[in-house]
Amino acid sequence: MCCSHSFEDRRPQVPSEAMDLEIINGMKFFDPHVHMSSRTTDDYQAMADAGVVALIEPAFWLGQPRTGIDSFRDYYSSLVGWERFRSSQFGIKHYCTIGLNSREANNEKLATEVMEILPLFIYKEGVVGIGEIGFDDQTAAEEKYYRLQLELAKEAGLPVQVHTPHRDKKRGTQRSMDIAIEHGIDPYMVIIDHNNEETVKEVLDRGFWAAFTIYPFTKMGNERMVELARQYGPERIMINSAADWGISDPLAIPKTAALMKLRGISDEDIRLITYSNAITAFAQSGQIDENDFTSPKSIDQSEKFEGNTVLRGGQQPRTDKSSMIIS
Amino acid sequence: MFDYDAERLRALITEVSRSNLSPDTWTWLSENLSSDDSRQINTAFAVMPRKTGKSVIQISKDLISKVDHVKPGFTVENWTMDKLGRLCLLLHLNPSDQEKYIKTIENLFLAAEVSELVALYSSLPVLAWPDCWKLRCAEGIRSNIGLVLEAIMYHNPYPEKYLDEKAWNQLILKAFFTDKDIIQIPGIDERANAELALTLTDYAHERWAAKRKINPFLWRFASKFLDEGLIHDLQKVLFEGSLREKQAAALTLVQSGSASASELLKSYPELMDAIKNNELTWASLAQDEEKI
Repeated sequence: MCCSHSFEDRRPQVPSEAMDLEIINGMKFFDPHVHMSSRTTDDYQAMADAGVVALIEPAFWLGQPRTGIDSFRDYYSSLVGWERFRSSQFGIKHYCTIGLNSREANNEKLATEVMEILPLFIYKEGVVGIGEIGFDDQTAAEEKYYRLQLELAKEAGLPVQVHTPHRDKKRGTQRSMDIAIEHGIDPYMVIIDHNNEETVKEVLDRGFWAAFTIYPFTKMGNERMVELARQYGPERIMINSAADWGISDPLAIPKTAALMKLRGISDEDIRLITYSNAITAFAQSGQIDENDFTSPKSIDQSEKFEGNTVLRGGQQPRTDKSSMIIS
Repeated sequence: MFDYDAERLRALITEVSRSNLSPDTWTWLSENLSSDDSRQINTAFAVMPRKTGKSVIQISKDLISKVDHVKPGFTVENWTMDKLGRLCLLLHLNPSDQEKYIKTIENLFLAAEVSELVALYSSLPVLAWPDCWKLRCAEGIRSNIGLVLEAIMYHNPYPEKYLDEKAWNQLILKAFFTDKDIIQIPGIDERANAELALTLTDYAHERWAAKRKINPFLWRFASKFLDEGLIHDLQKVLFEGSLREKQAAALTLVQSGSASASELLKSYPELMDAIKNNELTWASLAQDEEKI
């Protein structure tokens, strides 16, 4: 859940590094936080081309508040239905996490109704966690629904994807972890998202997973990320794009991997940070089979759409973007 | 309540489910059958693949034909275990309170992901209160997800039997627009109608105007409704079409039984002979050149 930045947040352009994704050719990437519902098919194609083989779409708010329970139902249903199908057409395996986001936890009447329908969705195939949940304004209502959803995650044996607040981040992050532990949840089942230099040490020290969102202007830049990778190593660290309808970048992971490679981070560390760690963390749901996106031969029947088997690279017909002719 | 012997089918499907599951999983499933609690039903339905896995089931030829005997046209052959488990759950719902029964299943549709939709639509022909699922079936045809459409179209006896003409015609049009394998749809000749023939012919003309290919199965739907215009179209296909298209045109003309059709076919003795000798049928059309 990003896009809360104002335009003043924008920094003046820094000298640009020419993009060269050639050096990461052949690498595979897993983006554990990206809101594809708000992205175009061009993004799917670009991600597939850059090596993104699978992703997780956490449930979040839609930029404006929902006014009724059916909007939630339709949204959750699109995450496991239409969006998953759309993704498969580009050869990208789509997973999701399901939850009530912190902002809308503040609408208590609606929040109660959402809690009632969550069990309908969290047990579905390809749902790899409860998320993204946590704090925004750190209100009492946010805390109440964070706790209720932690209990739900425990009951269902699912990992938890925790959104940490933009404002009062450090204390909000600490509080999120305290509450998870209070509910008896193993920190290894919890992915604390949107970390920065100020929060990461405590998150790792307490045994949680630390996710970093590479998002221009408001969150991490990838040069800072390279330094963090150097300082903390790859253990329990993952990166994501959190791309949504804001000024964000669905290629954040491949670009950061390329920058890491340019600046001397080892291939193995890059693999852990941009691919394997996210899989290890979310596969605790029992819902991720790496074969689904590594070997095109083992694609299961549920990925056969429109009578075509989904093959690596996507089978959506490509249009020639350099041509004036549309046929 | 049912339009077939539901008790018999329930027994058969239960048996196939039991024999395809480990004892532990079978115990879990059987404990969730015949529940009255909607939360338990919802959870069991959603969690099915996590419990049962998704392997293709083992079922004997004998059982397949028994199922077909109880509900003609219905089959669970090549189904995955999660799909079968979901069917088993649906067959155990208590249908006596019609409103409650329909609401329970409708709610499953509303929150369903793709595999669940496939299981639900594939199960339409064996649900209770068959008349009540017409709108649901028509809604499914509006889906853009191939697997959902295939669940409704392929080897599913529900649409042929229950859809009204408008909805049936939508199903056929949708099948053409999404490149489905028409021959797998039951009832295509039985439910051919003039309205559909006209719409499909318009569609063919549109494709020609755009210089796009036409699925030659389209002509089959017009065979009982040939008029001068259609004869002219088929003449054009016989004259300039690919081998596959020519074969389809010839089959359509023969199927029509009309005098002007026989007249036209006289110029194509080799196609006529092949049809007479049963060497050429709708199932044996030459391969699509683009797909070779």
